[in-house]
Amino acid sequence: MSARDAVTATLQAARRGLDRREALRLLAAHIALSLGACERPVERIVPYVRMPEQVVPGEPLQFATALPLAGFGRGVIVRSIDGRPVKISGNPRHPASLGSTDVFAEASVLSLYDPDRSQTILKDGAIASLDGLRTALAPRLRRMRDRGGEGVRILTGRITSPTLAGQLAALLDQHPRLIWHAYEPTDDLAAGEGAHLAFGRPVSVLPQLEQALTILTLDADPLGPGPDQIRNGRGYGVHRATANGEVSRLYAIEAAPTLTGAKADHRLALPPALIAEAAVAVARGLGADLREATLPEEARGFAAAALAALQQSRGRAIVLAGRTLPPETHALVHWINARLAAPVRVIEPVDRVGTREAASLNDLVRDLDQGAVETLVMIGCNPAYDAPGAIDIVPKLRRAAFRLHLGHYADETAAAASWHMPQSHPLESWSDIRATCGTASIVQPLIRPLYASYTAHDLLATMSGAADPSYDLVRKTWSKDKGEDFERWWTATLHDGVVADSAAPPAKVGEPALPSLPPPAEPTGPALVLRPDPAVWDGTHANNAWLQETPRPITRQVWGNALGLSMADAAALGVESGDVVRVGTGARAIDVPALVEPGHARGVASLTLGYGRIRAGAIGNGVGVDTFLLRQTGADWVFDRVTLEKVERREEVLTTQRKVSEEARVAEMFPVLTAAALAEGQGLHAASGPLPSLLPDRPADPAPTEGAPSAWAMVIDTALCIGCNACVVACQAENNVPVVGPEEVARGREMQWLRIDVYDHGTPEHPKPGFQPVPCMHCEKAPCEPVCPVAASVHDGEGLNVQVYNRCIGTRFCQANCPYKVRRFNFFGYADGQEYANLGLDPYPAQRNPEVTVRARGVMEKCTYCIQRISAARRAAARDGVATPTDAVTTACQDACPTRAIVFGDLKQEAAAVNRLKRDPRHYALLGHLGTQPRTTYLAELRNPDPKLEGNA
Amino acid sequence: MTAEPRHVWIASPEPGYGEVTAKVADPILVRRVGRRWWIATALSFALVLVFIGAIVHLFNTGIGLWGVNTTVVWGFAIANYVWWIAIASGGTLISSILVLTRQEWRSSINRFAETMTVLAVAISGLYPILHLGRPQYFYWLAPYPNTMQVWPQWRSALVWDFWAITSYLLFSILFLYVSLLPDLATLRDRARSGLAQGFYGVLALGWRGSARHWQLHRRLHVTLAGLAVPLVASVHSIVGLDFAASLMPGWQESIFPPYFVFGAVFSGFAMVLLLAALTRWGLALDEMITPDHFDAMAKIILAGSIAMTCSYIAEWFAAWYSGEEAERSLLVYLFTGDYAPLYWTQLAFNCLLPQALWWRGVRRHIPAMVAISALILIGMWIERILIIWNTLSHEYAAAMWRTFHPTLWDWVFFAGSLGLFVFLYLVLLRLVPAVSMHEMRRLVHAESKPWQER
Repeated sequence: MSARDAVTATLQAARRGLDRREALRLLAAHIALSLGACERPVERIVPYVRMPEQVVPGEPLQFATALPLAGFGRGVIVRSIDGRPVKISGNPRHPASLGSTDVFAEASVLSLYDPDRSQTILKDGAIASLDGLRTALAPRLRRMRDRGGEGVRILTGRITSPTLAGQLAALLDQHPRLIWHAYEPTDDLAAGEGAHLAFGRPVSVLPQLEQALTILTLDADPLGPGPDQIRNGRGYGVHRATANGEVSRLYAIEAAPTLTGAKADHRLALPPALIAEAAVAVARGLGADLREATLPEEARGFAAAALAALQQSRGRAIVLAGRTLPPETHALVHWINARLAAPVRVIEPVDRVGTREAASLNDLVRDLDQGAVETLVMIGCNPAYDAPGAIDIVPKLRRAAFRLHLGHYADETAAAASWHMPQSHPLESWSDIRATCGTASIVQPLIRPLYASYTAHDLLATMSGAADPSYDLVRKTWSKDKGEDFERWWTATLHDGVVADSAAPPAKVGEPALPSLPPPAEPTGPALVLRPDPAVWDGTHANNAWLQETPRPITRQVWGNALGLSMADAAALGVESGDVVRVGTGARAIDVPALVEPGHARGVASLTLGYGRIRAGAIGNGVGVDTFLLRQTGADWVFDRVTLEKVERREEVLTTQRKVSEEARVAEMFPVLTAAALAEGQGLHAASGPLPSLLPDRPADPAPTEGAPSAWAMVIDTALCIGCNACVVACQAENNVPVVGPEEVARGREMQWLRIDVYDHGTPEHPKPGFQPVPCMHCEKAPCEPVCPVAASVHDGEGLNVQVYNRCIGTRFCQANCPYKVRRFNFFGYADGQEYANLGLDPYPAQRNPEVTVRARGVMEKCTYCIQRISAARRAAARDGVATPTDAVTTACQDACPTRAIVFGDLKQEAAAVNRLKRDPRHYALLGHLGTQPRTTYLAELRNPDPKLEGNA
Repeated sequence: MTAEPRHVWIASPEPGYGEVTAKVADPILVRRVGRRWWIATALSFALVLVFIGAIVHLFNTGIGLWGVNTTVVWGFAIANYVWWIAIASGGTLISSILVLTRQEWRSSINRFAETMTVLAVAISGLYPILHLGRPQYFYWLAPYPNTMQVWPQWRSALVWDFWAITSYLLFSILFLYVSLLPDLATLRDRARSGLAQGFYGVLALGWRGSARHWQLHRRLHVTLAGLAVPLVASVHSIVGLDFAASLMPGWQESIFPPYFVFGAVFSGFAMVLLLAALTRWGLALDEMITPDHFDAMAKIILAGSIAMTCSYIAEWFAAWYSGEEAERSLLVYLFTGDYAPLYWTQLAFNCLLPQALWWRGVRRHIPAMVAISALILIGMWIERILIIWNTLSHEYAAAMWRTFHPTLWDWVFFAGSLGLFVFLYLVLLRLVPAVSMHEMRRLVHAESKPWQER
């Protein structure tokens, strides 16, 4: 009798009741079985006989691909180690990346490993099989084919993928009564209509900020978050760095603070209705035959000064209008730009499917109401969350009998759908995507799909009765008229990450027409402006812990949104930051905590989208307040006649830093120079050599700096920093910086190694925030080093102040003695067994950079100048037997920076960019008088005020 | 009870050596443990259990339990450490300075003051370990031969601290033990049970009371007392240097070492006074601890308060006179910032309140003295926590200014240490004589023949 039989017999006996013998026998069998379980596995593990080309264990590989934001692509280069994508950086060849990234691109690698991602097909919320879905879908598809698509609807976001557009066009051609609807919650409909008004047909207009010397923004935020942030930021920076000659001048009129307003040389806060009038004033000044603008005195003076400056730099002047302005104002701005011969590119729109325009979400809702929709296919969108609240879409969706949803998450829409399919992450899929300028990229997978997930191409192929994999579909799209050369073209294009010469052609349009204007809007009580969120965008990134914990620019808020209010309005309402306010538009009202933020126009409140998710996942659920509920019909961005009333309740608004506005501190730590003063030869006159210090030298330096091959240093140009946070998230991704969660942030324990401090060098009425990224200063006379009792904080021979994690015992004296407070302490095991929410779950750890230690509880950590990259460069140079090339080592923050404000390099190399910047007249050391001799230094903020507007400077 | 003119320090008309000895030894050897002792011990033991539980929880969970944050990285643990070690100084100073200056009246109070010192140093030494992120590696502060071939980093004030605490603890144990020797022998001789005879016999190290023993003992005791004064000064200077050897406004001040020594004397004497009153009440030692003792100690406290006030003023002046923006801004912050109410309380308790001690009536009124001592101890604790909070909450990096919000665990760790102190003190009261019998006998001798010694 085998042991198994014995156990079976005994177990049967056990049901009758055990006697002593049987109990002993059971025990013996148990031991025998458990010993047997310790066998070696039968599989044999064989090393590679022939190594796959390029794959060296532990050596990173880089691949070019592209990532979407609001449907537009930004080219990226993804670093993959041992088959795992771990870090995203920009693709220098891609016009919407230019080698830089934004927060969304940086953070998307974390989303790949999100355990909350949808992993299986769901039928009414229960796990189902692909066969089940096929069985359910087949009769629907047959009916669709038979009836020409009658009763079938496809809902998508913005489509810029040529392959997907081709598939959709083919499907629509086959089924004449099939209707395609598109809804992009962050769409700028007014801009589209405005372009239509001005040019008579849909076109896209792209500003070329790098050519502009005078810029007037009318509630536009070109430097703010969005698919064009990097391109605009780089363009803006061209004329802000003193080395490039003329300094541009930026005038901003806006309703609520934005990054553009923060960087503006002159900023005026006005309600949206009056901003439209400012456009009228400028247009009249340029000779437009329009009615008089109704503007208050200050605004009139501002508009006049801006107009004069615009006219002065005709050909290099540009006016931009934002989402909150009506189509007529957009059209008027096109007219103004034409008059100014502004550097804008008018191109064919890139998000068209053939010649078709999509039907709207409202059309779909109307048809759903009428019961005209039987089958609804929702691809990569989440209308149940982000449709306007006034539509109340969920019960209407349910009126379609068959609702199929393809999405990354089993989200709000998946819950309202009858069938849900998991969608592959862009880093797992083959596809293609266009940037705002039309330049296409091939999206290539870095990893096989982690789950049995599908792409939009798969779904559309299935609907059209084909079964081609995405790879073939994408190749088919691009192999047209390539002939023999296609393979070479394909390889080169995949390598470059950009399809050559694929930018949208210039639109052949005439002079923009002067629109007829509606009468001036009466001021109608408090207005509310909505914004896409600088961290979670429209909510699609709500389950990304890095983004949730990224301090929002200017306010430094994390883990939530808040109602921005001017001080005067807050006082009138009787609220302070943290008091809950009920915000109502028409029928809907939401309760949201207030955040008093100078810079709002009187009578204007602001909110961001993307919060209050209920099915985002463990990270994003219940964070913040859903503001889509306020929307009435579509992508509304401004609301008149909102009601604001105080609710007797408080909700803490979590912030990571305070804005520094104490005059003496700002003057000392964030000096501001004017372009005029700089031109006259004034500067900070900081010594370019080593700063004086009374602190003693390190005793008996084991690795003397003199003989070392390198001396690393960083210079950060605060004039170029637009506060976009890309560096913060890049650092987090590169260095395995843990997320601590809202409770720990409330206790003041955020972990980001790099923070962006905000200094307000204006007044409460006219705030002028400036941004100062603060990594470790790597002081030559580092105050953290002599106080560490166990020598865990030490200096290396190349000038790095290094932290030896496994020597650290956690006295925290180093941070207590750090005048810059750049060190971060693991009060709990944030990355080491005590993670926030589900951050400890697989497969999150797969994202971690294997070249950087994951720090344990009780250990101090801080910015290392990306020492792993320095080390890699050193090893590469040693291997090749050459000196490290000049500026070959870049830090993660430097790579990410859209404006190239961060420069890192070796002081021992005379040609290094840091050496040039250290001779800049704007160069200064933060708290240099303390004698710490920081290696990270700054270039002062540069402003170019208009002499005519000195009062408002 | 008023003392006769000749018997200033003993409130008994006809004190004899035997009477004095019996008065001290009987509570240990003869009298039953009273209900008061049991209640107090049970309560403090409950706190000890809470403390142990809290430490286990701390080691399992991490110091994130406390209110410390990225800006105010230090909190209660460091304040408690400084407070306890300062209290410890009281006992040492009474025994050393008063021995050296031949203030014989100290005889009736120095024993429990020294006991208090040992306990306070031991407890204070716990905090720097508990406060570590990785307490399991605290021994890396010691220079021991190891495979890493790394020694401590000698420039760090924390390493000096390690040695200061260690040497102070060893010294205070030794000092206590040496002065205990004749009394242990007395207990051995008076003990009735074999167990007690054995216990005290072993501890008495064969003391026979020979003239040579007395002579050697006296010499050693005075030598140790001579060592104690610089040791106390250096320990508290080093504690001060923990802060002063930094770059932070409000810490980087050369006045810190002496200022910490003053503070230590001040709070140490307040604690001695508090314990004197309690021990006097608990063990009915009214005859040995008289209002004159309180009077004398009150004068030292008054002097301490004046020294503290001067230190504060010097600090303010230096902050203003430095012209440094961070220092001046911190000064304004002290009086008007987030912790201003605490700061004003600190000034009231440490500077204003002790001025009542100018009145003899207050100095001799024991309930008043107990209240004042308790408030001074609170004031000094507030001072310690504010040294940390104020500077770290308002230093150079203005964007990172943050306040400290204590959690329940912060208070548990403070209360637990008080419980541990009271518990160990109560246990020691039952094991060793609360008053130095041999020194009391000498005091009796001196009091009865004032023309001979003194």
